[in-house]
Order: sequence, then C-alpha cells, then structure tokens
Amino acid sequence: MTIKVRFFAQFRELFGTDILTDAPPDGMFISLIAGIAHSNPEGYNAIFDKNGAFLEFVILMKNGKRIDNSDAAATTVADDDDIAVFPPVAGG
Amino acid sequence: MLSPRERGRYMRQLELLDDEGQERLKAAHIFIGGAGGLGSPVAIYLAAAGIGTITIVDRDMVDQTNLNRQILHVDRDIGRDKTASAEEHLRAINPDITVRAINATIRRENAADLVGSANGIVDAMDNFGTRYLLNDIALAHRIPFFHGAVHGFYGQATTIIPDTTACLRCIVPAAPPKETTQVIGATAGVIGSLQATEVIKYLTGRGRLLANRLVLWDGMQAKADEIVVERNPDCPACGDRSPHKRRHT
Repeated sequence: MTIKVRFFAQFRELFGTDILTDAPPDGMFISLIAGIAHSNPEGYNAIFDKNGAFLEFVILMKNGKRIDNSDAAATTVADDDDIAVFPPVAGG
Repeated sequence: MLSPRERGRYMRQLELLDDEGQERLKAAHIFIGGAGGLGSPVAIYLAAAGIGTITIVDRDMVDQTNLNRQILHVDRDIGRDKTASAEEHLRAINPDITVRAINATIRRENAADLVGSANGIVDAMDNFGTRYLLNDIALAHRIPFFHGAVHGFYGQATTIIPDTTACLRCIVPAAPPKETTQVIGATAGVIGSLQATEVIKYLTGRGRLLANRLVLWDGMQAKADEIVVERNPDCPACGDRSPHKRRHT
C-alpha cells in the first residue's frame, strides 16, 4: 500500500478521497487508475474514453508534476508516488 | 490623496493596506468577465474595497434560476440586463468608484477593446472557450489573470502572471464538456472571495499570490488542497513556440 492516489472535485464523489494502493503488476500509471476506476462504471466513464484512454480534459499529476494525457500510457508509477486525478470545474 | 469620506469608508482596512495601498486600489482598473455566480462576489468585494474603476461585462438578462448564486441581482431584476442590475448594485455599494457595465458578448474581435487599459482581468466566466480567450488577451497585454471556476460544492482558483507563471492553458489544456452545472451559491462566494483577495494582494503588493498554485476547494469536505502547477514549454498559448512568445521575443 505505497502509492497515494488523490481524487478531487466530482471524482472524489465517485471514488472517495485519498486511496492508498500497491503498484499494478505492469507498473503503469494508466493501469493504476483504471484498476481503481473499474470499481465504479460511472466513475470509469468520467475518466476514460471508450478506447480506454484518459479523456483529454482530465488532469493527471504525479508527484506534483502534470502528466500530459498523451504521455499517460507510457508513464510508470513506483512506491511512494503521490498521484492526483481531477476534472477541471467549469462553471461560473 | 484620500478624501475624509474615503478615509472613513476604508477605515477598517487602512491599517492593513496603508494609504499607499488604498491609493493603489483607487488608481486601479479591474476587468471582470461575467456578472454571474463568480462575478457577483468578485465585483461586490472589489467595489467595497475601493477599486477605482471596475469594468464588468455580461451578455445575459437576469433569470429567476440565477438568483441562488448571482447575488448582484435580486428578484425585481428578473428580465433586466445583468449589467444594468450589476451597475446599480455596485454604485449603491460604493458611489465613490467608477463602474463600467458593458452589455456584450466577449469575442476574439472585441475582447482587447473591452479589457482596455485594465490592470487585471478576473475570470468569472462559465465556459472555457471565453476563459481561453481572456487568457490570450492577458498574455498578449501582460495583464494578470485571476482564474476561478465552480461546480456544485467544488471550486478552483489560481493567479496567472504572464511570462512568469503557468497560464490557464498550461493548467487546463483541454476544456471539459459544456454542461449546465449545479452550483451552491456559497461555493461561488468562496472562490470569488479568493479571486478578489488575490486582486487586492496583487495591486497592493501584499502576501503570497496563488502563482503556480491551483487551489481546489471541496466544500463537502470543507477542505482546500493545493496543486503545484508549472509552465508547459509546449503550451499553445504561452509556450516557447506560441504566437505569444514569438510576439514578445
């Protein structure tokens, strides 16, 4: 249980707050988030498109650094990583 | 020079800002894009604080469904232009300032003219299309840009200093889908108050701005988190190959 995943805004309602978890077997960022998201179909569809890629507006952070969505499929995770996933809110 | 009347009006903040800080507010011109949920608290607090000139732009009329959050407008304003009720309300709060309320749609063709000589642009919009446009104007004219957005009990805010901090497109590269959002009025109050505080800090040179920091407010948990953000060298709006960079280098 060494990776912390934090969801914010509406994603927090879908998945809860801070989640502590192990790295996925393949060590990939996208597998980590997909593994959590599969527990909630509504939540999964709020983060991933029908091809299993991150929706373009979802903001992904690893250890305080943004991960470009196009790089997410090639990004790895490791012990002690701090991951943040959230949608920008848009209302005014 | 502050008049005796102004000295009385601002007595309870003059020790915080000093005469010089209050004079800076008086000399400032702030542009507020939107007279809705965020624009209401931003405009009210900036007017009350003594910002000398406030330009507020909106294109809509007051609708009954606005009134849970858009506190510039009241029941009798339903059917009026939001700019009309905003101007009336702000003048009533502080008759010593200048309010320019402009009924217009902010578009690429008119945005720079609407912003004019403003010292700061407050993002009180309800869509990312216009937010990106105001972000571009802020970058092009090197005007600080105070971003805020809300949804339900959630909100976010950051302060963008062109050529120094991440811009809005660095932080939110792609707009979320348009939706008619549910919003608790008090959430807009929290985020709008943050934006107004940032404007006052920027103008008076006080405190630590929300520069390269995105505040995420969760009203359900009564918790504020902070995400550190940074400039994206490949950002289409402010990155090394953007029109903005080519213009200014």
